[in-house]
Formats: sequence, C-alpha cells, structure tokens
Amino acid sequence: MRMPSSDILVIGGGPAGIQAARGIADLGYKAIVVEKRDRLGGMPDEAGYAALTPDMRDTGEAIAEMVAPILDNPGVELRFGTTATACTGVAGDFNVTLQKADGAAEDICVGSVIICTGFKHFDPGRETQQYGYYQYDDVITLVDCERMLKAKNFVRPSNGEVPERVCFIQCVGSRDRQIGNEYCSKVCCGVASKEAIEIRQQVPGCRVFVFYIDMRMYGYWENEIYWPAQEKYKVNYVKGIATEVVRKGDKLIVKGEDTTLRRPMEVPMDMVILSVGMEPSEGTEAMAKVFGVKQNKYRFIETIGGALDTVSTTVSGIFAAGACTGPADLEDSTSSGGAAAMKAIACVRKANTQIPA
Amino acid sequence: MEFPLDLSGSAYRDVPFEEKERLLDEVKSDLRFQDVMYGCYECGICVAACPSARFYDFSPRVIAQAVAREDADLVYTLMNDSIWDCSQCFSCDRCPRANSPGGLITIMREVAVNNALQTARKALEGYERIIYKIMSTGTQVSPDMLQPDAFPDWGTHVHEIADNLEIWRRALPPETLHTTETGWSIDDKTIIELYLIWHMTGVMDMIKGVDEGLFMILVDVMEERLEEAGYDVEFE
Repeated sequence: MRMPSSDILVIGGGPAGIQAARGIADLGYKAIVVEKRDRLGGMPDEAGYAALTPDMRDTGEAIAEMVAPILDNPGVELRFGTTATACTGVAGDFNVTLQKADGAAEDICVGSVIICTGFKHFDPGRETQQYGYYQYDDVITLVDCERMLKAKNFVRPSNGEVPERVCFIQCVGSRDRQIGNEYCSKVCCGVASKEAIEIRQQVPGCRVFVFYIDMRMYGYWENEIYWPAQEKYKVNYVKGIATEVVRKGDKLIVKGEDTTLRRPMEVPMDMVILSVGMEPSEGTEAMAKVFGVKQNKYRFIETIGGALDTVSTTVSGIFAAGACTGPADLEDSTSSGGAAAMKAIACVRKANTQIPA
Repeated sequence: MEFPLDLSGSAYRDVPFEEKERLLDEVKSDLRFQDVMYGCYECGICVAACPSARFYDFSPRVIAQAVAREDADLVYTLMNDSIWDCSQCFSCDRCPRANSPGGLITIMREVAVNNALQTARKALEGYERIIYKIMSTGTQVSPDMLQPDAFPDWGTHVHEIADNLEIWRRALPPETLHTTETGWSIDDKTIIELYLIWHMTGVMDMIKGVDEGLFMILVDVMEERLEEAGYDVEFE
C-alpha cells in the first residue's frame, strides 16, 4: 500500500506562493513549487513593476530578498516551466499530474495543494467607455507606466517628448456592472498614486492629475501614499471619471465631469494612464478546473470561510492564496500565503495520523 | 439643496492667464500658506460648519480645492467674488486634514487688496469710514457709539439695540469701557508713530490702490500732523 505523502504542492511562484513555500519549509515540511515561467517573482517581476506599493521599495531588490530563502533550500523543490494538468485523490493523498512545456508528464503524490496562480491585468480593450487604448499611443496602462518608470524613461510614446500634463483614470475594468467586474480591484488607487509620485520625482515639470470615483487608500496607504502625493508632490485629485479620450492635434482631450466643482471638463493631456484592475489569470481559471474548486461569479477561486478563513476552497485539502481568490495587494498575498501553508500542514498531519499502522 | 457655482460672471475685468498665475503664485508664496493648505479630499466638513455657506453661494471647499489644484482661472474667479462672502469665523478650521480655508481666504483677500483688484475695491467700499477712522485715530468705534443717529446705515435694528444699550452692556460687559470721547482722543506721540507706520509699511500705497478718494483725505490729515511734528513725509 502506498503511503500518503506529507509533501505540499504550491502552484505559482509569485508573492503568495513564495511565502507559502517558505512557511512550509521553515516548519519542516517539503514544498514542491511549480511555476510555468522559468523564474520566481510572479506578476511584480513578470510585469516589470518599478517600485512596490506602498513602501516604494525597488521591486527587483524586494522580490530577490523574498525569493532568496527558498532557493537552494532542501525543503523546497522548484519546478519551472511546469503546470498541473490533472488531480485525483482526497485530502492527504492527492495524485497530481505535472506537465512540462515540452509535454513530458509526471505524476506526483502530495498531501495538500495550495493554488497561488494570481491575477491578470484587465485588458483596456474591453472597457465600455472610449479611452482609446488601442487607438492612441499616448494612452497607456498602469502596467505600461511601471515599465517606463523602471527604465527611468517617462516620455510620450507617440513622439518621445517629455510630457507636461498627464492624468490617471481610475477604476478601468473595475466597479462596473456593464463589464461584469462589480468588485473594486483594491490596489489601483495606491498604485496610481505611487506612480504619480514617481512621475513627479522623475519629471518634476509634469503636472499629474488623478480622475477618480472615490480614493480607496485604506490603512497606512492614506498617510504613506495619498497624503504625500497631494501635499508633497502636488498631484491633483479630481473627483469625476472621464468618459472619453479624443485626439486634438498632438494632444489628448479628456472629457468628464469635475463633480465637486460642478462643471463639465474637457482638459488637454499629453498622456493618459488607465488604472486597469484585476481579473483572474488564465492559470487561476485553469487550476480551478484541474482541482475542481468552485469559482465565484467573477471567476476567481471561491474561498468558503468568509472573513475568518481566507484560504480554504470548496475541496478539502486544496487551498488558495493571493490574488487567485480575488483582488489582493502584496500584504494580502503574503499573509494568505502564510495562512495557507499553516492550513496545508495541518491537513497533511491530520491525514497522516489517521492512517492505520 | 444645490449651490451652483456661477463661473460665467463677468462683473470684473478679465486678465491674461499669466496675470492670474502671478496672483496665484503670490497666494502660494505667502509665509502662512503652508500652514493653511495641505491637501483636500473633499469631505465637506468645512462647508457643513460654514455659516456663510448657509446664506450665500459660497463654499470653503471649492476655494480650498481650486487652490489645491492650482487652477489659476478658477482662483481668479473666486478672488473676484466668492472670497468676500466669507465671514472669517474660522469654523472651517475643524478640517481633518488641518487645512484652514478661512486662513487661505485671509491670504487671498490680502493679495486681492494688495493688487487692487476691482472686487477688493468694491468689497471695501462699505468700510470706507471704518478704515478712515482706524487709520486716522487708531481706533474704530466704542460701545457707546452704537446709536442710530451716529450710524444710520447700520440698519433699523440699531434702534432696538440703541434704545436699551445700557442693558446690553451690562449683559455683555466688555473689558474696555471706552467711550466716544476717550476712544478718539489719541496722544500725539501715538498718532505720529501710527501715521509713520502706515507710511513706511506700504499701507498707504495699498489704500491708494483700493480707494483713491479715501487716500487723498487721509493724506490731508496725516501730512498736516506729521509736518507739525517735524516730519517731512511725501505720500505719492
């Protein structure tokens, strides 16, 4: 008879997965991390974020520091270019098929699984306003902006000139019944404000506006990002969302309402940055199916414990952490990664003690 | 209830955008500015607390917001209109961001006066006599001056107050018991120093900008007293 395994499979090597694997190894268990890319770091690394929100640490440096403890760690087995394609069994005794990019498959036996497959950025081509992301070079997203800031080359894509006026448009793809994403993506207010500060640092002559519905800067994000952006870096927050961006000469005209001053606005901008929200990644959708866990109406993996248990799914022994369960910031992702490690270990210990000698 | 902000008014002179920016810069470069304007998240507490907002098309939030956004056009509009509706009671100082829209308005008014904006002149018209009295005697009114025949323009309710002035005074005992007689009789040294201060600190230039008639009257009074005291002062 095959002995059940106490190994824990972690799917996804982003912040949540890294934290989960580290916790599992630290507690004396073995984590098998599968990552479809050829490196760890998840979305902050893949998308090339300049600095992390809210502490503005250099992303490369911060992620390297996070990754270090699970590299060359006997408690962590890293499998790159690999995905999970099938799963059978029950809590404490799962059989999971792993497949490499070249098609080579292997079955492994694990006691528990933690899905950490994260989110993808909303595709601004699907927004229901008329922002013209695919029409105008100078309309970019938060993600494009991160890359430019990282390269210290914040210029107008259309002509390479340094911009004098740029604006962020918040809630693109979030809080929108027409699109179907009724949720708030949670991080975009902070990320946009962080980028606004970076723009003001890199291009001091450039005026920065943020058009918003309401600013969601919870906890310390208020005093660490929002207030400094306004007070120290003179970022202009205007309550009111644009409905349309049109080109006039070599400028973009942003049309909307300045709601608190009660006037319609048509303001010229050199660049428009769309604050795109989060949607479940393709990996998240695929893993939900492979492991048979229920997805919520927005196709994120559903957790069943409400506010008191953020990592248990509808299948016993299968846990989920980070942004695969819904919009999450780094604090959420690492916290839930740790919580999932604890739950997964509890699961395999319980299963092992129940096996008759 | 809505308080639409009428931005179409043209009761004052339009000026080039650069001039509006210069005025805004003057407001922002005031030493007090950093203590009255941090950032605004438009919670509306200042408007909720504001007595003027109950009666006028006036919003301290809009003033703070316009300045925070460095909207030179709107700031110019407000400096020509809305800022004069403020009663300077500073109820708005309860702002959770520690802004002081009232303090901001103080600065904006001073900039409006120092630059002799048309509306500053208009707003100060009603205070001509008070300014005259303060500048020529160093004091304004004493409690017993509150009589209908002394200040008929204070309105009909002054009768009611004046009729029972003694009772009012007992109910609200002021620290000072100044009377008309003592209030306006200032010793020579004090009045000469006062006139020299008005002259040397630029107050007279400011008065000339906002009220030329008043300026001429004051110059007559001051020149004579100063000359008697041995000062040869030229008011331009």
